[in-house]
Order: sequence, then C-alpha cells, then structure tokens
Amino acid sequence: MANPNTKFLVVDDFSTMRRIVRNLLKELGYTNVDEAEDGVMAISKLKQGGFEFVVSDWNMPNMDGLTMLQAIRADPSLATLPVLMVTAEAKKENIIAAAQAGANGYIVKPFTAATLDEKLSKIFEKLGM
Amino acid sequence: MKNNNTNVIAPEALGILPIHLENDEMLSRIGHMTRGLHENLRALGFDKIIEQAAHNIPDARDRLNYVARMTEQAAERVLNATDIASPLQDEIAKQAAVLQERWKKVMEVASVKSEYNEAASETVAFIHKTIENTSATKEQLMEIMMAQDFQDLTGQVIKKITELAQSLEQQLVQLLLDYSPSAIKKELDNHLMNGPQIAPEGTANVVSNQGQVDDLLESLGF
Repeated sequence: MANPNTKFLVVDDFSTMRRIVRNLLKELGYTNVDEAEDGVMAISKLKQGGFEFVVSDWNMPNMDGLTMLQAIRADPSLATLPVLMVTAEAKKENIIAAAQAGANGYIVKPFTAATLDEKLSKIFEKLGM
Repeated sequence: MKNNNTNVIAPEALGILPIHLENDEMLSRIGHMTRGLHENLRALGFDKIIEQAAHNIPDARDRLNYVARMTEQAAERVLNATDIASPLQDEIAKQAAVLQERWKKVMEVASVKSEYNEAASETVAFIHKTIENTSATKEQLMEIMMAQDFQDLTGQVIKKITELAQSLEQQLVQLLLDYSPSAIKKELDNHLMNGPQIAPEGTANVVSNQGQVDDLLESLGF
C-alpha cells in the first residue's frame, strides 16, 4: 500500500460510480479522495494542485476521459500524474488508444474490488510510490 | 427523326451507358421508386402509421428517462444504506476486539467460582463470533455496494437509446413534413407552443393585438 494520504481524484459522470470508487478506495485505506463529474472539471481541479492519482471514466459529457488524459500528459505540471482508466468501453482500439495516450492502467466495468486493488498496487509498485 | 449513326451500334443499345448518363438514369430511377413507394405507402395508410410512430417516440423516451431516474434513485438509496451500515459494523468489531483482550487478561487468573469461569468462556466465544460476523457482514455490504454499478452501465445504455429515439423521431417528423399532404403538415404545426407570431395579420386563428384578446375572452363570457 502507498501512503494512505495519497490524494485521489475520481472522475465519472455517474454519481453512483463515483461513490462506489470512493468507498472502495476508503476500504483499501485511502481516504483523501475528491470527485469531478467530467474532464473539464477534473482538469480545473488538477490544476489547483495537490493530486497524486487520477481514476477516470472514459465516456463523459463536456470532456471525455481520453481527451482529459491527453490534456494531462500535455501539461508539464501534470504530465507525470498516474491515471487509471475505469470504463465500460471495452473495444481493443479503446484500450490501445488509452495506452498510447499514456494511461497507467485500464479497468473495464463492471469490475471487482479485487481488480481495483490489484491495478492500484501494480501502478504504485511501478512508480515506486 | 432518323438516326444518322446507322453504321455504328450505339453503346446504349448494348446496355452500356456513358457514366454521366448512367448517373442521371440512376437518380431518375431512384426518384421514380421513391415516388412509387410514397404512393403505395399512402394508399396503405402508412403515413398515418409513421405519424403515429413519430408521435409515440417522445412517450417512449419519457419512459426510458423514468427507468433511468428510478434506477438511479434506487442505487442511491442502497449506497446511502450501506454507507450507514458499514461504520456501524466497524464500531461493533472494534469494541468486540477491545472486550476480547480484556477478557483474555481476566481469565489468565484462575477464578474460584466455576460458574463464573463458564460464563466468561461463553462471553469470550460470543465476542469471537461477533468479530467474525461483523467482518463477514462488511464483506456483504461491499458486495451490495459494488452491485450498484449496474446503474452506471444501464444508464449509459439508456442514454444511447434515448439519443437514438430522438434522432429517429426527428427523421420521421421530417419525412412527414416533406411528403405529407398539406392537411397533415398543418396538423403537425398545430402546437400550443409556437412563440411570437411574426406576421399575425395574414394568419388565420391568430390575434394581432390585446384588444382582440379581450374581445375573444369577452365573447366567451369572461
């Protein structure tokens, strides 16, 4: 487990899913979690600083998750932020596009608590967090 | 008029058309087919069916929105309940663990009263079971919470279908406006939300000033 104070941003247009991810993170020991309902809101929150991890949906109004990921990677102050995609988009081309855009992980909905735990641990381990 | 190309067999005669002629012919044939289809559909009363279908789509959309709203509300209620129940279980588990430790220490000193020892052993067993069960209940609460992810997934599907229905409706209405007899066109335009009249003087059934409004109301006995 990484630092329990690691600050997460959960991005999803469905409040149900934001709550589920928030609760799962809490169960895994991470209680420092903020939420955003689309890419635009997420970027604006991220720019205020302090966030260390992003868990994001793909299909959202205003700005989708892939565009948000590309914006993060293009912004020097955010470029190294780990981003885990959690989405119902299950086409191979989606997964490839996310990987090419620099996603650190990709979870397809519906998912289990164990999957989230595993992917998070993998990313933390890789980044030495 | 006599064909002056008698020596050459025209390509048309062989069923081969120059490309521009081929396109013209194709468009003309599509036009004829469309006209024929339109006549046939009208003869069969299909324009009414299309009108009905276009009319029913907003209703179908409302129903889908209702499903989306109700499932979202249900999911929220479940999440509210698991959010409340989960810390209650945590609290029970925590207190049970403290009690378990205390009893362990007490029982290290042998007591003279055997009934007392027996009661203490049962209490410790119960505390142990409590810790086990709260943990199992917490797991089930997590499972209940995770199951609510259906709302996100079905919600996305419903949103897609609603958009599809909307585009279908627009196309059907346009089809009706383009191909219906003028009577139906009028009927379709006959809504109660038409906004400001831009040329009220020349339009039937439209008032052009407040005086006419008052006159009309008066004539109706208001």
